[in-house]
Amino acid sequence: MPLDIDRYAHVSSPIQRWDPRFKIGALGLLILGIALVKTLPVSVLALALSIVLVVLSGLPFGFIGHGLSFVTIFLVPFFIIMPMTYPGEAAMHVLGLPFAWEGLRLATLIFLKAISIVLCSFVCFGTSRFDISMIALQHLKCPKVIVQMLLFTYRYTFVFLEEMRRMQTSMRARGFIPRTDGYTLRTYGNFVGTLLVRSFERTERVFKAMLSKGYQGEFHTLVTFSSDATDFIKSLATLILMVALLALDFGGYFHQAVKAWY
Amino acid sequence: MHISDGILSAPVLATGFVGTGILAAATLRKMDMEEVPKIAVITSVFFVASLIHVPVGPTSVHLILNGLVGVVLGMRAFPAILLGIVLQAILFGHGGVSVIGINTLMLGGGGLVAYGVWQQRHRFNMPKKEVIFGALAGATGTISSGIILALALVTTGEEFFATAGYALAMHIPIMITEAIVVGACAGFLKRVKPDVLAGERPQAAGE
Repeated sequence: MPLDIDRYAHVSSPIQRWDPRFKIGALGLLILGIALVKTLPVSVLALALSIVLVVLSGLPFGFIGHGLSFVTIFLVPFFIIMPMTYPGEAAMHVLGLPFAWEGLRLATLIFLKAISIVLCSFVCFGTSRFDISMIALQHLKCPKVIVQMLLFTYRYTFVFLEEMRRMQTSMRARGFIPRTDGYTLRTYGNFVGTLLVRSFERTERVFKAMLSKGYQGEFHTLVTFSSDATDFIKSLATLILMVALLALDFGGYFHQAVKAWY
Repeated sequence: MHISDGILSAPVLATGFVGTGILAAATLRKMDMEEVPKIAVITSVFFVASLIHVPVGPTSVHLILNGLVGVVLGMRAFPAILLGIVLQAILFGHGGVSVIGINTLMLGGGGLVAYGVWQQRHRFNMPKKEVIFGALAGATGTISSGIILALALVTTGEEFFATAGYALAMHIPIMITEAIVVGACAGFLKRVKPDVLAGERPQAAGE
C-alpha cells in the first residue's frame, strides 16, 4: 500500500516548482470549488482540468491510479443505489426494479467530482516533500499544534505499520487464522491493545530523548520559502479557472442543455 | 466508514467544517506540550489498526475503532480523529479534502459519545466492567457515527433517503464487530497498562 504520498516529490515539473504555500492555498480553493459544482457538463470540465494538472505535475499514472482505486470502490455502489432509489416517477423498469435517469445523472456527477478532487489532492501533496507541505500549512496559519501532530502521526504511521506486520507474521506463525467468530474478534482486540502499549512505550522513550535535546513544541527547519511572479501567476490562473467553473455552473449556461438532455 | 467527496451539499459540508472547528477548539483547550506526541502516536496506531480486515461471512470489514479512541484519549479523541482523517484524505484520497469537516464530525462525534458511555463505568461495581463498558463504548461510537452519516445524507436531499437507510443498516454488523474488539481491548489494557485508559481514577484502581 503506497502510504508515502511524496515518493515522487523529486520529479521536476511546473507544479513541483510552485511555492508550496501558494500551491496548497490555490489548489485547496479549487478543490472546494469543484465540490460545489452541480451540473454534469461543468463536472466534466473539472475532471479535464484535474487531468491537465496531473499531466503538468509529471506524477506517474500508475501511482495515481492506485490511489484512485480506493475512491472507485467506494463510489461504484452509488451507480446501483441512486438510479433505483431516486424519488418520483421512474423512467423505466429494469428487471422489475425502478430506474430513474435523474439518479444515474446524480451518481455520475458524484463520481466525476470525486475523481477530480482526488486527482487535485494528489497533485497538491504529491509534488512536494511531506514535511515541506506541512510547514507550508503552518505558514497558511494552520495551528502549530495541529501541524506538529500531523508530522508526528505521519512519521509514526510507517513505524507502526512495520510493527503491525511483524506482529501479524508472529500470529500466523502460531497458527492464527481469522474467521467470523468471537474468538477472532477478541484476538484482534488484544492485538490492537498490544500494538497500543508497545507504541505508547516507544513514544515515551522518544519523547524523553527529544526533551533532552531541547524540544519545545516546535521543529526548527532549514526550509525557506521563496515566491516570485510565476507563483502568483500560477495561483491566479488556478483561481480564475475555479471562478470560471463556478460561474458556468451557477450562471445557468448549461441549464438549458441539462434540460434538453432528458 | 467515510463519506466521499462530491456527494453532500455545500451547507452540509460547511456545517461539517464549522462544527469540527468548534469541537476541535473546545477539545484542544488546556493541552500540554507533552500530550502532542501522545495524541499523535495513538492517532497513528488507530490509522494502522484500521487497515486490519475482519472476515464477516464471505466479505470483510475493516475496523473503525473510533470508540476505542474515545476510551483511550477521552476528549482528545476528537482532535486525534481529525488528524487521522486529514492524513487519510491527503494520503489516499480516502474520504477527501472537502469532506474533512463532516467526516471528523461523524467519527470524532462518535468517539466523544463513546467516551461519555465509557465514563459511566465508574457508577458500577462489578467484575470485568472494563470489558462490558468497552464493548458498549465501541458499539455506541459506531452507531453514533452511523446516525450522523445518515443525518448528513438526509439533510443533503430526499434523493439520499434510501442511501442513508442502507448506510445505517450496514453499520449494524460493524457495530457488533467493534463492540467485541473494543471490549476485549479495554479489558486487555486494564490488565496490562491501565494508565493508558481515559478517566482511570487512582481510587478506582483498587476495586
